[in-house]
Amino acid sequence: MPVLAIAGVTKRFGPNTVLKNVSLSLEPGEIRAICGENGAGKSTLVKILTGLYAPDEGTVTLGGAAVDIASPQHAQELGIALVAQELSLAPALSVLDNIWLGNREVPLFHRRNSLRVRARAALDQIGLSDLALDTPASALNIGRRQLVEIARMLTRDARILFLDEPTATLSDVEIERIFKALRALKAAGKTVVYITHRLGEVFDVCDTVSVLRNGELVGTRRTAEIDRQQLMELMLGRSAGEMYPSWQSQSGAAALAVKNLQVPPVVRDFSLVAERGTVTCLAGQIGSGAITVLRALAGLSAVATGEVEVLGQPMRLRSVLAAQAANVQFISEDRAGEGVFLRLTAERNLVATKLRQHTKWGVLARPKLRETAAKLANAVGIDRTRLRSPADDLSGGNQQKLAFGRWIGGTEPGVLLMNEPTRGVDVGARAEIYRLIREFCDRGYCVVMASSDLEEVLGMADVVVTMYRGGQVGRYRRGEVDMHRALADITHPAAAA
Amino acid sequence: MTELALVTRFEKHRARVRHAALWVRLAAAAAIAAFALTTPGFLTPLSLNALFTAISFVGCVAVGMTFITLTGNIMSLALGATVSASALMFLATLSFGIIPAFLLTVLFAVIITGLQGFLVGHFRANPILVSIAALSLLLGGAAFVTGGHRIYPAGEGLAMFKGRIAGIPKEALCFFATVLAGQFILSWTRVGRLMSMVGSNFRAATAAGIDAAMIITAAYVIAGACAAVSGVLLAARYGSGDMELGAGYDYTAIAAVLVGGTGISGGSGSTLRTLVGVTVIAIIEVVLLLRGFSEQLQYLITGLIVLAVIMLHAAGEKR
Repeated sequence: MPVLAIAGVTKRFGPNTVLKNVSLSLEPGEIRAICGENGAGKSTLVKILTGLYAPDEGTVTLGGAAVDIASPQHAQELGIALVAQELSLAPALSVLDNIWLGNREVPLFHRRNSLRVRARAALDQIGLSDLALDTPASALNIGRRQLVEIARMLTRDARILFLDEPTATLSDVEIERIFKALRALKAAGKTVVYITHRLGEVFDVCDTVSVLRNGELVGTRRTAEIDRQQLMELMLGRSAGEMYPSWQSQSGAAALAVKNLQVPPVVRDFSLVAERGTVTCLAGQIGSGAITVLRALAGLSAVATGEVEVLGQPMRLRSVLAAQAANVQFISEDRAGEGVFLRLTAERNLVATKLRQHTKWGVLARPKLRETAAKLANAVGIDRTRLRSPADDLSGGNQQKLAFGRWIGGTEPGVLLMNEPTRGVDVGARAEIYRLIREFCDRGYCVVMASSDLEEVLGMADVVVTMYRGGQVGRYRRGEVDMHRALADITHPAAAA
Repeated sequence: MTELALVTRFEKHRARVRHAALWVRLAAAAAIAAFALTTPGFLTPLSLNALFTAISFVGCVAVGMTFITLTGNIMSLALGATVSASALMFLATLSFGIIPAFLLTVLFAVIITGLQGFLVGHFRANPILVSIAALSLLLGGAAFVTGGHRIYPAGEGLAMFKGRIAGIPKEALCFFATVLAGQFILSWTRVGRLMSMVGSNFRAATAAGIDAAMIITAAYVIAGACAAVSGVLLAARYGSGDMELGAGYDYTAIAAVLVGGTGISGGSGSTLRTLVGVTVIAIIEVVLLLRGFSEQLQYLITGLIVLAVIMLHAAGEKR
């Protein structure tokens, strides 16, 4: 009998249906992957099953009985636990205290001994028998913190655990530990629901995989019965490729030359040559240093050292102003925190770097600024009527276009650095952003982008540089590398030889 | 699709809150106006003059505070003490003549606040803590220099600040000029635009190649100049001074900034709004006075009204 089953679950937000008639069931001792693109409905599904949202239609059955999961607290009582992506340990508290934090069983006066015994058992179960209960959480690395969170859920007698992208920020060794813990849970008859973007993990650790696309369940398969390619096609609903512009890849003159870049503690001895009119992609997982390299080149690292030449001129590191003076422009991976001014209007965002040209004696030529903003909006494809709205009211894709617009119209083409240019951008806007990137190239810009999305890397790059743990693994021209090779490079460089 | 749906729903909700906030604000303004206009004696030249004069001193401080709030640094608790110190400086340097004394006073205040701005901008020091330290230094330094005595003018010429032009008290004219100058900087100059960018998002401003530390320092410098103007006006009005002169002005100033509708989280604001804020608070105080409320009750009611406005504002900004 399934431990948890849902039938015909539908969820709407306003006019948009984000989950349509989804039915699935989970068996005890099963590890189930849930895959899908951004916006496919994965997180909505998880939120329904963990009591954060109520479904508009459909039923949830737990152990054969229909239930109405009213709240996260109720979910906890029912034995459903969510291991959050954002770590929720209190750093100053011990492992023991963290495990019992928020548990409704704990009385006002702790019965320390029984609590210790049960916490110990939970840690042992997931392979943390060497971890002392009194260690402060701040002394643990991210992987171990994640494991302590899992232990926390076990002490709550969770029968079904939801893990939302637990490995997004982990190294391979730590990922292996998590996998071990998951297998131990499976052996103990628990059910694990595993949400991930990394297709490799689906085949490594999961028994079955359910794929969501545009809010619909397109299928559930045993991982033994499908391969990676089929899984991707299920997710995308088409072959990967239509999304990207087509162009004639060629080489150009070197525009950016980096020698022996060091960004402690992440990047060591990194060198790179990028050409005019081309897109160079640094492909790597989180922690590979790809993003760090571009941040350093943009002048945003205080510890970077190395030699950088832009268009033949040496450029000083560690200064944003020096980078901009050298015509190096940067689009941040952290759009809300660093990329756009959310509380300012779209217009003010677009002209953020154009004020100097429109100033005389310190006074702004406001009509001209407005004209410039309208032109830029046109160039990046933002509706002019939205220029007066705060950037906060725009979609992720439109916000990213604001970040692009800022760098259009420089005196001469320079170097454009981009970190994760389509993170949190929906599918439609993504294609537009890819088109914009190619336009920059056609104008003679040297584009360098860092991305952890291999499909995007292969779809956009003239040159692919794969990175692992702060160094380069391989360098390929377009067509010389496929998904398999790139993935091998960024995960297990030794096996790539 | 999820994100899109959430965003739309969220936008609608926020627009509703914004609308509600606007209506409550208009209703409150109407209520205050009705209350004021029906108060006997309010619309007399005498009380209006008293009102304008009263708001001038703290109003200048509030204009300065607007710049600090706008650049994302909440408020300074040292502006009141800077006003007092400026007044003392002005009185003590009057022997050099009015204009040199005025310039020296502005320079003095600008250095005091500029240093704080440098600490806040360059080292990202907590602005409130920096201002508390500055407050302490100012009080201690002043006590040391003056020996705790009142300061009397060292020269002539204070009379030129008294009287009216076109029926408006000169203090009020100085204040209005400060408001307009502030508004000009904010809406029409590059540095003003950069201030709203730094206040909206410090990291994004840095990544866009803006020298955010410099911009924050500039905001504090302007705040210092405003405090100096307030100090000079106070010194001229009372003809002598001590460190109590501007005490408490920082609180009234931040209340005026918030009542006017400048966001506490930075990035948006205007000195015209601050003018409205100062006026509203002053009207409430005057009306309560004219209607014969006891002083304690005046404080209480003013406090409650300011609190209500701030709560309303917080609801509008909540995300």
